[in-house]
Amino acid sequence: MSDKPKTFYDDLSRRHMLGGMAALGGAVLVGPGLIGRAQAKTPGTLVFGLSSYPPGIKPWENKGTASSTVKLQLFRGLLGYGPDGGLQPELAESWEIPDAQTYIIQLRDNAYFHNGDPVTAEDVKVSLEAIAAEDSTAHLRSRFGVVESIEIVDPKTVRINLKEPQVTFIYLLASVHSHIVSAKELAKDPNNFVGAGPYRMVEVERGTRIEMEAFDKYYKAGLPKTKNLRFDAYKDENLRVAALEAGDVDVIEYVPWQSMDSIGANSKLNLDVVDGPFMYLLFNTEAGPFTDPRLRQAVAYAVQRQDVIAAAFFGRGNLLGAMPIPKGSEYHEPSFEGHWKRDLEKAKALLAEAGFPDGFQATLLSTAQYGMHKDTAEVVQQNLADIGIQVKLNLPDWATRVSLGNRGQYDFAVMGSAGDFNDPDALTNFLDGTRGNSYVRSLGFADDEINGLLAEGRQELDPAKRKAIYDKVHARALELAPIVPINWRAQGYATQAYVSGFKNMPGFLTFYSGYTIENTAIE
Amino acid sequence: MGGGGLTTYVARRVLIALGLVYIVTTIVFLVLHVIPGDPAMLLLSGGGVDPSAEAVAELRRKLGLDQPIFTQYIDYLAGLLQGDLGNSFQDDHPVAAEIAKRLPRTIELILAAALLSVLTGLPLGTLAALRQGGITDRSLSLVAGLMLSVPVFVTGTLLVLVFAQKLQWVPAGGFVEWSRDPIRHLIHLLMPAVTIAMGLSAVIFRMMRTTVLETLQQEWVRTARAKGLSGRSVLLRHVVRNALGPVLTVLGLHMGTLLGGTVLVEYVFNWPGLSGFLVVAVETRDYPEVQGIVLVISFLFILLNLLVDLLYSVLDPRIRLE
Repeated sequence: MSDKPKTFYDDLSRRHMLGGMAALGGAVLVGPGLIGRAQAKTPGTLVFGLSSYPPGIKPWENKGTASSTVKLQLFRGLLGYGPDGGLQPELAESWEIPDAQTYIIQLRDNAYFHNGDPVTAEDVKVSLEAIAAEDSTAHLRSRFGVVESIEIVDPKTVRINLKEPQVTFIYLLASVHSHIVSAKELAKDPNNFVGAGPYRMVEVERGTRIEMEAFDKYYKAGLPKTKNLRFDAYKDENLRVAALEAGDVDVIEYVPWQSMDSIGANSKLNLDVVDGPFMYLLFNTEAGPFTDPRLRQAVAYAVQRQDVIAAAFFGRGNLLGAMPIPKGSEYHEPSFEGHWKRDLEKAKALLAEAGFPDGFQATLLSTAQYGMHKDTAEVVQQNLADIGIQVKLNLPDWATRVSLGNRGQYDFAVMGSAGDFNDPDALTNFLDGTRGNSYVRSLGFADDEINGLLAEGRQELDPAKRKAIYDKVHARALELAPIVPINWRAQGYATQAYVSGFKNMPGFLTFYSGYTIENTAIE
Repeated sequence: MGGGGLTTYVARRVLIALGLVYIVTTIVFLVLHVIPGDPAMLLLSGGGVDPSAEAVAELRRKLGLDQPIFTQYIDYLAGLLQGDLGNSFQDDHPVAAEIAKRLPRTIELILAAALLSVLTGLPLGTLAALRQGGITDRSLSLVAGLMLSVPVFVTGTLLVLVFAQKLQWVPAGGFVEWSRDPIRHLIHLLMPAVTIAMGLSAVIFRMMRTTVLETLQQEWVRTARAKGLSGRSVLLRHVVRNALGPVLTVLGLHMGTLLGGTVLVEYVFNWPGLSGFLVVAVETRDYPEVQGIVLVISFLFILLNLLVDLLYSVLDPRIRLE
């Protein structure tokens, strides 16, 4: 047919339809503009952008950074950490350690739970005993096994007796996983955890938002500095940054490395970065090539650490060529620093010595769910090809990665972790295979000498002697290479420029920077 | 065929639908339990720090994961029959309550997107058909092709970049309840709805364009015009109305797909609906949540298809015979 109606409806179409479209489009685009900035800073409310909605906020379980940050507002333990990372009293007013087996805690007079009751020795005893109880799912359950008994000396004094001397027990009392809750409320309902933290819960929109307000009977005078506190969960890291740049939130955690430069350069924002956790390789020492320490050493000398920092962390991180004891620690030994650096001759010599002059094949387990784990694995794969080790990558999702790690289904694996506290005893978790199979440490690695020294270190009160003990641990670990550290990973928080008082705490404590929310003020 | 035939047909279709729901439930249950990943271990190892083995064992016991898989399956089915979807592994929150809260948000998002798509796709599709081969038609078709081929996480991210980060007109994402602040609620709804609408309106645009073109070729259009009706009334009363049927069918079918397909959009914009929630549930291996969400989505999907089938059979009795 030739009468295709091309100009048939001219009178109607152009005028009406284009006009209508323009009006609709205009409404969509201009509407919010007229309303103005959709969400400005709420006066008197600090808005904190979490990296995920906490999968639970029970006081003694470890459910990740977001959960710890929220927990720290509702609960407090006997001790805690100041912004500089030093131990500081919280519910305890003071403490005394007559010998490393006895801890005497004096409680504050002015500490109250959110139900208005004062914090007493009874609450401390009940809380700490619940951590080690038979039906406990507490993070520190095993570690609290060292407690022999908890005595109530008087309503404000507690005496904790240990089964054996342990100088690191003080860090357990300062952990964000050993908060004190009201014994009275717990007796009424075993799932009702009432704490004595700076903020009290107002409203929860599960999966999205948590709102709190300052607790008026908080034991620190003048704190918290901001009346209202709101946590908004932004699981997508780009959206989290976008929310900060758009002014929707005042603080964000887990600043993605690729955004650090642009946030740092933005005069309306502040970036606070510390060396926090560390990245490392762990090995299957029960089966496969890496049962031979020389081959683990060869890997340690073949990895080009700068490349990992550049590729996986956009240049944000520091080299780690020895065991992860941070520079600021009194246990840091400069002579070990940079012990492992790329040296292909040494690596090849070790391979030849172990009977693999032409290299071998090995499977590297990591995860595609987190870019930093995947990118690290890819760099390691390239680096090891230079000495003839053919690496096959296995990159499942994180949940699978954890399971395969626990079962030891790998030749070696990429991992990133932090210790529970800033003390060299935290190394135990990575070096002592007798603690059971775990995705964070090498399968089957156990060395009597290292374990003996670690046990000694836990009991030694004298810092100089302790330092000597951990130096020996360190030297032995460099010889056996149970793990191969790669780098310190930059861990960042970012805030609006008008936010003051928030601080990224040093080292492994970075994940507990939620302590400083009570000092945080907006304008 | 009499009324008895229709009843039999309906009964058969409902039975098949119920069977399908049961099969989906079982498959999801089995797949979840077979894939690696231990919920108790994952829940207790925040920040890459491993939990103590005793704590994990205790949590497994509390969650019932220490039971044989068959026992767990029977318990799950028994719960389902009583309308109990179980409690979240993460914080013991009832799954059914959470779904009841989130499902309306997902539906709201889909409906808003559908509305935007219809408002843009219908007139533009008609316009393109009327201008077939012209510059308007070709440029609109090009844009539609683009919008169809760009994935939602790209358009979504671009929208955030431009309108939230650079222009700061709208928040980057999130949600405010209608009851709290209706205007802020709509502002938060805008970007995710536009993101979904882009692809959907392109679908409607194409469908509308094709159908209008076909309709315009019909002899009765010429007759109507010859009768002396104005171009405007022929177009609106006859052409567009006749073209709407197939377009609405396509839209209806897409609504079902969108129920599961909004996952990425909800994730990118932090819209606390049902599908984005599924991502977190899968990552943490929260079995009851994953099972509950998949069950509800597949139930709705099957229900939608069932309704379409039944509607067809009422409209066209021949279908029952096949």
